[in-house]
Amino acid sequence: MSDLQRRWAKAKLSAAALPHFNEHDEDDDQPPPTDRAPSQSPTTTTITNPWAVDGVYPPGDPPLLPPFDDDSSSASSSSVSSTGTIIPSPSQSLFARPLTFPTRTLSPIPWPTYFERDLYLPLPTHPLQVHHVYLTSPAPASPLFITHHGGGSCGLSFAVLASEIRKRLPGAGILSPDARGHGLTPGGADLDLSLDTLSADLHAVVLAVQEAMGWKELPPVVLVGHSLGGAVVTDLAFKGGLGAKVLGYAVLDVVEGSAMDGLAGMRAVLATRPRGFGSVREGVEWHVKSRTVRGVRSARVSVPGLLVEAPPVEEGEGGGMGREGGGEGGKMAWRWRTDLAATQPFWEGWFTGLSRKFLAAKGGKMLLLAGTDRLDTELTIGQMQGKYALQVFPEAGHFIHEDLPEKTATVLVDFYRRNDRSAMVLPPKVSDMLAQGKKV
Amino acid sequence: MGDLDSAIAQLRACRPIPEAQVREICHKARELLVEEGNVVTVTAPVTICGDIHGQFHDLMELFRVGGDVPDTNYLFMGDFVDRGFYSLESFLLLLCLKVRYPDRMTLIRGNHESRQITMVYGFYDECMRKYGSANVWRYCCDVFDYLALGAIVLGSSYTDTSGPESARTSEEVEVEVCNANKQIMSQFRRDPSRGPRARSGATAAATTNGVDGAGATTNTGPPGSGASGSSGGSIGNPAGAVLCVHGGLSPLIETVDKIRLLDRKQEVPHEGAMCDLLWSDPDEIDGWGLSPRGAGFLFGADIVKQFNHKNDLSLIARAHQLVMEGFKEMFDARIVTVWSAPNYCYRCGNVAAFLELSDDDSGMGIFARSNGDVGRSDGGGSRGVLTENDAPMGGPFRRYRVFQAAAQDARGMPAKKPVADYFL
Repeated sequence: MSDLQRRWAKAKLSAAALPHFNEHDEDDDQPPPTDRAPSQSPTTTTITNPWAVDGVYPPGDPPLLPPFDDDSSSASSSSVSSTGTIIPSPSQSLFARPLTFPTRTLSPIPWPTYFERDLYLPLPTHPLQVHHVYLTSPAPASPLFITHHGGGSCGLSFAVLASEIRKRLPGAGILSPDARGHGLTPGGADLDLSLDTLSADLHAVVLAVQEAMGWKELPPVVLVGHSLGGAVVTDLAFKGGLGAKVLGYAVLDVVEGSAMDGLAGMRAVLATRPRGFGSVREGVEWHVKSRTVRGVRSARVSVPGLLVEAPPVEEGEGGGMGREGGGEGGKMAWRWRTDLAATQPFWEGWFTGLSRKFLAAKGGKMLLLAGTDRLDTELTIGQMQGKYALQVFPEAGHFIHEDLPEKTATVLVDFYRRNDRSAMVLPPKVSDMLAQGKKV
Repeated sequence: MGDLDSAIAQLRACRPIPEAQVREICHKARELLVEEGNVVTVTAPVTICGDIHGQFHDLMELFRVGGDVPDTNYLFMGDFVDRGFYSLESFLLLLCLKVRYPDRMTLIRGNHESRQITMVYGFYDECMRKYGSANVWRYCCDVFDYLALGAIVLGSSYTDTSGPESARTSEEVEVEVCNANKQIMSQFRRDPSRGPRARSGATAAATTNGVDGAGATTNTGPPGSGASGSSGGSIGNPAGAVLCVHGGLSPLIETVDKIRLLDRKQEVPHEGAMCDLLWSDPDEIDGWGLSPRGAGFLFGADIVKQFNHKNDLSLIARAHQLVMEGFKEMFDARIVTVWSAPNYCYRCGNVAAFLELSDDDSGMGIFARSNGDVGRSDGGGSRGVLTENDAPMGGPFRRYRVFQAAAQDARGMPAKKPVADYFL
């Protein structure tokens, strides 16, 4: 009962604070005061493990700079301005953008800050390759959030989200695999990225992790997929591979209709990306500056997973960098691990039938979007018929969980609590509450 | 009144009114609404409408088909704003009509009449776009907090009593579906085995149905109150009362009187009785279930059956869910979903409908108002146990008018935002 009241009060408070929520976000998005061990809850107790540095990460040094106004704040300022007129004054230099980013705050953060371990798993689906996953195991009777990243991303995309989930639900486990051809999972000579393959991979990964960790049975599972990953988890839920263990699935910012509409322009978008970077830090900077990933902390941990050190290329081939990154154009030691353009044959197959499967699969359904205009007709109808929960974060970019990890985690934990089958208890009736002299 | 009439005229032309005027109207509306109980009592005839969602031109079409205010008595079941491009004009017009003709216009709250929801689904952005500040949005949200949570329609008739006697629909018809030009599309006759309850004089309310038999209940108090009145011979409701609410029932609420006890003047909470009334959906399940929406509950036929029996309701009318055909009756016509936003979001391809209930013209349609009358109810206990053979009483005569989307004026629609540039 007191829990109910508390949540009520919280809801009221948050409603009251609404017009100002952006400011709150800004505070949260600041990099933690120390680089190595952000003073976070139980999550980071295991960080002192030795696999910390795998060559990708330059030794991190604690940024002692005052918290700088990162770019994510400009996302907020547009909405802040809508709640009251902000008058620019010389002292505020409201519209000025920082010319360069303070270098240290963009330095990569090693992944063990956020996950308990990583595993290389042989899979029956492709025996010659090993599948790489990041894992924080769940406490007994706690759920396992199984995430799947989008095309061209990697398992570290969910690193910050994972720690935010565990702040709210300390026992929760997170399993974040790198899909084949992404992150540290090799793709093989003949890269097969069809939806069926990816969905079968995810299923096999879950079983392999269960075996490797010696779990007698799977904990209750919440599937979380971003973009392409949303299509993968929806497909897995639809096919029912994990059976009744799946409490629900959440899909982040992908809708069949708008994805299909956007495919035509995708090649052009990819062509504008730089082909490589002089350093990992430069890669982080590009992601933040181009607003691809707006959460700086998340970019610092996820971007290193996207890049691989490669021999420098000849002049002329890498035109993109000079334009985007400035400075050290020309020598690009770090290139994308995943050649997204080469995955084009699979694009349509990823999204075809997504809306139908999303509505038809068993389990709780949640869709998180960065804008209501991304809904297609099928999901607009489904939403207004009450078939799934919709959450919209207009202030986020495509990488919702990296831009707004706190909010996304709150929503996902609530989603889990609601769908937790052990806990469906109807609230007390109004007449009972009145009898106890409580206000209703 | 002159100001108000000019504001109405301007809004009917789909032009926003000045901020100062919005403020004044919202203030007046609040004074009016604060006097209303959580459950407003409305007498038939009444035209019951579902979600509008800022589709102003379709609202005009609804008025064209259903008759203008104040000629027609309207009840709107919430969700006036969001999604459509003219939430502001739609809501303000309805509000002005409410202030101008308080007895001919009833507005109850939907889940979109909330600060948190309108921040995301369009109304806030629309106010910012049209006024450049959030003031108007804030005034409107303050009004939202005062909107009633439900309504009880009394005095609806078993038979069609609208229009001249010669043009009326046969007494045997329970449901009639008409198109926008008032042509009958289909009719459904009453099932003689399940009612109507005898219409002869005082027995009308005393026998809940043919099976129950006289004397099974002596409930003659105002319907919807669950009261076991001792007024002896007075007539209850010839055709049973109709409860109107945006979403549906709540596991916390077993009688209509409990709704009257809620403290409604607040933002819609994330959970609790008030939230459920605005968020729940009926579903083909037993008992209560988890709502996939993330708020409210699902409730099954048994829940509706018990609730209607206990509260002497013949029907629950609600909105909240898109129905491609405009309306949908469920659970032996104990509950109906009414949806009044044709071609929702300008692309769903659905038709819309509203529900017309005619008044009982036999002179029995006058009731003591029971609004907010607390402490008289025994919680419905006297209505006895719901028995297996307690067939539905057969509701009032219901005419659904189905209408299509109005021709859209593309002007004023904001350009579609470009799709995300990177989304794989």
